[in-house]
Order: sequence, then structure tokens, then C-alpha cells
Amino acid sequence: METILNLDGVSMSFGGLKAVDDLTFDVTRNEIVSIIGPNGSGKTTTFNVISGLYEPDSGDILLKGESVAGLRPDQVHDKGIARTFQSLRLFSNMSVLDNVLVGMHSNSKSGLVASMLRLPSVRREEAAMRARAQEILSMFPGRFSGPRQSQAAGSLSYANRRRLEIARALASDPVLLLLDEPVAGMNPMESHELMEQICDLRDAGYTILMIEHDMHVVEGVSDRVIAMDHGVKIAEGTYEQVANDPLVVEAYLGKRSAHTAS
Amino acid sequence: MAAFTQTVRSAFTKVPRWVYLTAAWVLAALFPVLNALDLVQTAWIRVGVLSLLFALLALGLNIIMGETGLLNLGYIAFFAFGAYTTALLSSPKFDLHWPFAALIVVSALVAMLGGFLIGLPTLRLRGDYLAIVTLAFGEIVRLTIVNVPTLTNGPNGITGIDFLKPLGPGVTARLQSAGLPQAVSNLLTIDKPTEYYYLVLVCVALGALLLSNLKNSRVGRAWNALREDELAAVSSGITASRMKLLSVLLSSAIAGFAGSLYAYYSNVISPESFIFMQSVIVVCMVVLGGMGSIPGVILGAIVLQALPQVIRESAGAARSEFEVYRMLVFGVIIVAMVVLRPEGLLPDKLWRGQAHEADPRELERTRQTLFDLEEGEQDLEA
Ligand SMILES: Nc1ncnc2c1ncn2[C@@H]1O[C@H](COP(=O)(O)OP(=O)(O)OP(=O)(O)O)[C@@H](O)[C@H]1O
Ligand SMILES: [Mg+2]
Repeated sequence: METILNLDGVSMSFGGLKAVDDLTFDVTRNEIVSIIGPNGSGKTTTFNVISGLYEPDSGDILLKGESVAGLRPDQVHDKGIARTFQSLRLFSNMSVLDNVLVGMHSNSKSGLVASMLRLPSVRREEAAMRARAQEILSMFPGRFSGPRQSQAAGSLSYANRRRLEIARALASDPVLLLLDEPVAGMNPMESHELMEQICDLRDAGYTILMIEHDMHVVEGVSDRVIAMDHGVKIAEGTYEQVANDPLVVEAYLGKRSAHTAS
Repeated sequence: MAAFTQTVRSAFTKVPRWVYLTAAWVLAALFPVLNALDLVQTAWIRVGVLSLLFALLALGLNIIMGETGLLNLGYIAFFAFGAYTTALLSSPKFDLHWPFAALIVVSALVAMLGGFLIGLPTLRLRGDYLAIVTLAFGEIVRLTIVNVPTLTNGPNGITGIDFLKPLGPGVTARLQSAGLPQAVSNLLTIDKPTEYYYLVLVCVALGALLLSNLKNSRVGRAWNALREDELAAVSSGITASRMKLLSVLLSSAIAGFAGSLYAYYSNVISPESFIFMQSVIVVCMVVLGGMGSIPGVILGAIVLQALPQVIRESAGAARSEFEVYRMLVFGVIIVAMVVLRPEGLLPDKLWRGQAHEADPRELERTRQTLFDLEEGEQDLEA
């Protein structure tokens, strides 16, 4: 299978803290790979480095063989990597539909003057974008129907905001989708539903790299699991392999006993 | 009683917004008729012209402030660029008399160049820093005007600006010597308040139309996204520097355009018209009307420009006396607005109610947002 993403010895530190330490892994086409690890183990930082928010101190990041390390976030997005955020980052005062349309920014090209004059080319592009946005929103049946679409994104429920972030990321038809804790804050029913939708995305041909704490979801969707601790990859393999890996057990139990002790 | 107010209110909200907007435009277009019928003094038409000129400015500032979310405290400098460009190229100062059609474009371009020069180095700044830099820029422009008399006549300003001849002086002279009827010939030179009123009204209407097209387009949405959450916007493929610069260029071009009209209209311009306080006033117009709302900022400009005059007239105060109180009236309006209607007079539809936080769910959401922000800040600090 074709390799979509390839991290090669990526490191990233904040002052003295090595948040990501010599991280190497691959994601192949049409695969769901999950990253797990205790709090502060460098998972989100890994996402931030991939999506261009940080430049790695060393190592390289290849998307379909082409380096994207050191590019700006918008350039990385243009190359085909879209993401969601652990701490929701929607455009709160914009409508639900507009949030998705913003996600299509780099797939469209209407300029300032043409838009002011509403030229026929602009109208056509706008109509196509809106139709596509409807398709994407209908992936979450009943959640964003009718009048909800013109509601401010900030007025949505927590779970719907998480769904909308995924919709916005999907809007650009990304080569690789990065999901940072997509079910955080959802109740078990909601997270089960989202889990199935994530599997549907794989069936639709998407490639997904996901960070998740909910082991039920990780078990349910992952083709492969990567475990991190202190910025280092400590295990990789199927869910069973990783969940039973002594290093992983220690990483989690160590944290937990440290917590109960304090 | 409560039920009654409820009914009245719902009756009002049932009327679609466009009905109000159309009514407002029609009223605005009919205003000079009252003057023709001698029901309203010509002085009020002049107040109308200035109100509309400021509405144009407020529309321009709204692009950068309301749509893109970048505070600009030196916006009046771009108005000055436009006014001085027109004044210098169509007055006895250098004995240049460029035609109107060229000057309105050149004035907008010069203001745009100013926007480019200040925008390029500063657009990476945020919030407070941007406010300080733009404030300083506005003052630098004004002080330069004051202190380079060879070019600008310094504090004396520039007098004797040409009459506004839409077709240019050459064509106008030829048409007039061809012996047109008086009524047509009069229109070849815009010099009466009513003529200016309609000219500026058309500009405001056109501006409102083009800008509302823009608001619901790819570019407008990209600006809004940058305003809402820059990090999420760039991660969605928006090139922040490019889009912000575009926003600055358009808003400064509009100010330059308005400045050019202002120079023609007032015939005399001097640095006093471009003081820092004027920048603040335009910011207040945008905030009072409702940031990001096109009808809102137009209304805000009209209220803040015209209301002090109305109060002055009804108080019958002498001009010099009133000037002292002008800023006081102004302050009272702003404070009342912030307390009673923080979202502005005619807020953008999605911002409505965002400013009030009586709803406990809203409070919870705000708390959540703050929490997210803290986490987000961590994300940002690279
Ligand atoms: N901008 C930053 N500046 C300084 N330190 C940071 C920054 N971002 C992350 N860190 C630190 O890097 C380490 C890894 O953080 P990261 O957010 O990647 O963890 P995580 O695995 O996503 O944790 P969680 O499960 O809590 O989301 C943590 O110790 C964190 O405090
Ligand atoms: Mg994280």
C-alpha cells in the first residue's frame, strides 16, 4: 500500500522539554492509525508539527514522499492535511454552514473584485461549494439539518461542535485527516455513533491519524495503534499488541499510581 | 401590558429586514425634497452630506475592524491621503487641475499605497500592539502634513480646490458653450449641497451593495475566520498575511475615495480635520452601529455625525459654545450604548445577543471558551 504520511526522526522541544523525541512512523493509504499516551506525552505536539504550527527541531515529515516540514500551516493544508483541535477552535460567530465553507477556502479561488461584483463565475463556484457543504454536513444525519445551518457555530452543543470541526476539516477533501481527541466530552452513545462515522470515512477512502484517550473507540476503529510516552514512541502494532505491551501498561499505571499518591 | 409589548415586538420582527432597509433608502433619497419644499433648511442637507461621507468611511473601517478583526486607530490618515491627493492635484497650489475621474482613482490608489506601507510590516502584530502602531501612524501622517508647508501649506491647509466636474473641465466647457438648457448645464458642475448629497448617497449605496456581496463570499468568509480564530483559519488553508493585506488595501482605498469627495465638497482642507479624535469617532461609529453589520455602521455614522447637530439646534446654542459640549454628548451616547445595547444598533445577525450573557448556558459556554483559549494559547506559544 502507498505510504501517505511518513515521520522520520522528528523532534520538537520547548526550552529544555523534549515534547517529541525522535519520532518515526508511517501511515498508509486508507488506514486509521491511533496515537495513545498519557497526558503530556506529546501527541498534540506531534499534530502541531505535522500541520505546520511548529517547525520540527530535527527530522523530516513527508506527505506522499514530499517534505512538508517547515511549511506554513496554510501551505500544509493546501498539500492535503486537514485537522481538528483538541480544544475546539470553531469560528463561533459564523454560521455552521460558513464554518464548512471556510474549510473549502483552498479548493476555491474567487478573488476580491470578482466577489464584490458577484460575477457569474463566482456564483457558480459558490453554488458548487454550498452543494458540497450540504453533502458533508449530511454525514451527520439530523445534526445540522435545515435552520441549524444558519445558526452561530458557538451556539451548538459540545458534541455538535466536535462534529462540525470534523466537517470543516473534511471540506477540503484532505489526503490525510488528523483528529485530535474527536470524542472528548461526548457521552458513550455519542462517541459510539461518531466511532461508526469515523469507520465510514475510512470506507469512503479517507486516511486518518487520530489521537484518542477513549480505549473503546481506539479499539473499535484502529487498524494500527501507536503509543507515546514523554515524546517517545514506546509501542506500535494492533490494539491488542499495544494494550498488552508492558511499557504501555507501565506508562499508564505509573502515571495513575503517581496521581493517587499525590 | 407585557403581552401587549410582546405583540408589538413580534409584529415588528415579523416584517422582514429588507422592508426596513428599503424604507430607509427611500427616506434618505427623499430627504432633499423636504429642502426643495422649504420644510428643511439647507444646513441640514450639509449635515446629511457629511453624515454620508462618514458612512462611507465607517463602511471602509468596518472591513478591517468588523470583518477582519484588526483594530485601526489611525484610519483617518487614509482619509487624509485621499483628501490631500485631490487637493494638491486640483488647486492653485501647484496650479494643477486634474479631472475628477482621474483624481478619485488616484486618491484611492495613494491611500492604498499608504495602507500597503503600514500594513506590510505591522500585520503580524495583534491587538494592543496593532492599536498603538496604527495610532502612531495616524499622528505621524498628520504631523507630517503640518510640518511640510512647501507641499501642504502646513496648518493653513489648501484652499481653492476645483469644482467637482464629473465629466472633467474640458468636456464641461465645450458642452456649456454648446448652449445646453440651464438645468442640464447646472448638473455638469456639482457644487450645491443637494447635488453632493445625491452623489455621496449613490456612493454609499453602491458601497453597501458591493461590500455585502463581498461579505457573503470566499474572501469575506476568510476575513471573518481570521477574526474569529486565526490559528484555526490558517490551519484551514487561509494565508493570513495575504488576506489581511487585502483587507487593509480595500479599507484604505475606500477612505481615500471618501477623502477625495470630502476635499471637493469642503473646498478647503486643513490638518485639523484629520486629528486622532476623528479616527476615534469613526471607530465609535462602527461600534455603535454594530461591528460587521453594513446597515449598522451606516446608521452609526449618521447618528454620531448628525445627532450632535440636532442637539445643538434644539438647544439653540451658539456654535462656539456647543463645540465644548460636543465630545460630552458623544461620550454620553457611547456610554449609554455600551450599557444598553453593547452589540450595536443594528448588529450583524449572528452577533445579536452574543454581547448579553444573561443565559446561564451562554455563561457556561463562555467559561468553556476561556478554558479553551488558555489551552489554545499553549498551542500558540512556539
Ligand atoms: N507551546 C508549548 N510551550 C511549552 N510547552 C508545551 C507547549 N505545548 C506543549 N507543551 C508541553 O509539551 C508536552 C506535550 O504536550 P502535548 O500537548 O503534546 O501533550 P498531549 O499528549 O497532547 O497531552 P493531552 O493528552 O493532555 O492532550 C507537555 O509537557 C506540554 O506541557
Ligand atoms: Mg493533546
